[in-house]
Amino acid sequence: MNPVIKTRKLSKWYGNILGLSDVTLKIEKGITGLLGPNGAGKSTFLKLLTGQIKANIGSVMINGEKVRNNHRIFSQIGFCPESDSFYEEMTGWEFVTGLLKLHHFSQADIEKRAAKALNIVDLEKAKDRRIKTYSRGMRQRIKFAQAIAHEPDVLILDEPLNGLDPLGRRKLIRLIKSYRDEGKTIIVSSHVLSEIEAMTNNIILIHQGKIFAQGDIHYIRDLIDTHPHMISVTCSDPRKIASRFVKEDYILNIDFTEKKDNFVVKTNNRDQFFNRLPSVFIEEKTEVQEITSPDDNLQAVFDYLIGE
Amino acid sequence: MERNLKEKEWTFFNSFQDVFSFFFLLGRKAKKTKVFYLLSFMPVAMALMVQFGQIFYSRNSLSGPYVFSNIIITFYLQFIILILALFFGTSVCSEELEGKTLSYLTTRPISKSSFILGKYAAYSLLMVLMTVVGVVLCFLILNFNQLGRFSLYKVLLKDTAVLVLGLLCYTALFTFIGTFIKRSIMFGLIFSFGWENVIQYFPGSTQRFAIVHYLKSLLPSPTSGRFSFLLFRLEPTPPVLAVVILLGITALFLGLACLVFSYKEYILEE
Repeated sequence: MNPVIKTRKLSKWYGNILGLSDVTLKIEKGITGLLGPNGAGKSTFLKLLTGQIKANIGSVMINGEKVRNNHRIFSQIGFCPESDSFYEEMTGWEFVTGLLKLHHFSQADIEKRAAKALNIVDLEKAKDRRIKTYSRGMRQRIKFAQAIAHEPDVLILDEPLNGLDPLGRRKLIRLIKSYRDEGKTIIVSSHVLSEIEAMTNNIILIHQGKIFAQGDIHYIRDLIDTHPHMISVTCSDPRKIASRFVKEDYILNIDFTEKKDNFVVKTNNRDQFFNRLPSVFIEEKTEVQEITSPDDNLQAVFDYLIGE
Repeated sequence: MERNLKEKEWTFFNSFQDVFSFFFLLGRKAKKTKVFYLLSFMPVAMALMVQFGQIFYSRNSLSGPYVFSNIIITFYLQFIILILALFFGTSVCSEELEGKTLSYLTTRPISKSSFILGKYAAYSLLMVLMTVVGVVLCFLILNFNQLGRFSLYKVLLKDTAVLVLGLLCYTALFTFIGTFIKRSIMFGLIFSFGWENVIQYFPGSTQRFAIVHYLKSLLPSPTSGRFSFLLFRLEPTPPVLAVVILLGITALFLGLACLVFSYKEYILEE
């Protein structure tokens, strides 16, 4: 299959700060998840893809054309930015129709497309309200509507699920998948692994401006599963609970923290620990206050992968 | 492709027109526009006070046309059009950067020049409307007892045309400044109320470095009166040349603004 997006040795610095380094990629049709912790370079990469910033080295081609200062290519590209920024005084309808106008559609076509896009994101009832009165979720959806309204072949979505409630997330994920089924090319960035996992198996791992890996999501999932996890437990009698786990071979380490009601377990089998934990609480008649995984995030996985 | 059939022809003019209508709508709704509408009506309030003073306190020392021409020079030419042009002109680019809305525009199939020129035109029309409404109201209030005099309308037309020309010229300059200076308002204030206000009173050819010199060259010089000191050292440029220079300055700065906006990299602060 011919790649839709090609980057070659793409590099970007902001003064002395590295934004992106030596990124050579080929992205084909379907959904590609761009995964990395905050500040990894995801937005920089997407801005370079959409020609909003200039690469210091390297090039970006979409459908065989260069992007920067090639405005005509944007009839094929829909971009949903990460920042929560709008023309606040406009209504949702004015926002979407106004931006559609910049695609040179006829008035009738603009209205038809705007109505369709607003219907897709469930904002048809709120379309005449000013954007400044929208909730965070609605703002996120109107941002998505402007990206899809002109029916682009390539969708570039920067953290599109931020601020959405669980139902909204599910709907948007379903919608993104439907675009994939239509044969479009979609790049979605996120710092939340589960969000990307719900959309695609095809991921690009980015960290500190470098592409760490590209390919199947099961690879990273396996790494996470074999990587020792830390689990923090806060309860009324932490020593009693901890003592029940000392003999378990999947427990690598137990630390008691300065807080009197807390201990931290390091385990290489998180599922087994979580299966056992509730019954221990019940047997010991101990009141549980909080269970958290301080390192169950992408940053921790990356730190582990790069050996920090 | 189906899309191509539905789209209008892609020309620079179409892009310009689409950007214009987008920002004219946005500009009309902006809070800033409402505030500046009020500001541009300040001289109207002054004209009303002058007229009330003359009617109720029988002060007949000032004629309507005289007060009108001084309001044009003192308030409109040296204050209102400068403020309007400064805030609207610099915001052509800077409000997109500060509001982080630039990415909505730069990811559309419109050239960057058509964006600058379309938004400039939309904001210019808004400013022209604000100014013209105020000027016409001032004129009617100050001359309500002699509205049948045809010659007065010629003055109104000429003064309005000069103000419009001034707005276009200053806005082009500030649009250019807004595309490459971060604190463009500060720079604009120094230029407007420092440079422009001082340099115009320099004798000889130095005053030709101020835009206001060419605008004043197009206005009739008051022969007497308490405000005549504002013009006393004017060594006017011939009117046709003044118009050509003002249009030239407008075209130059708009061209530069398009050039800078097309090639400069704007990094939105996260």
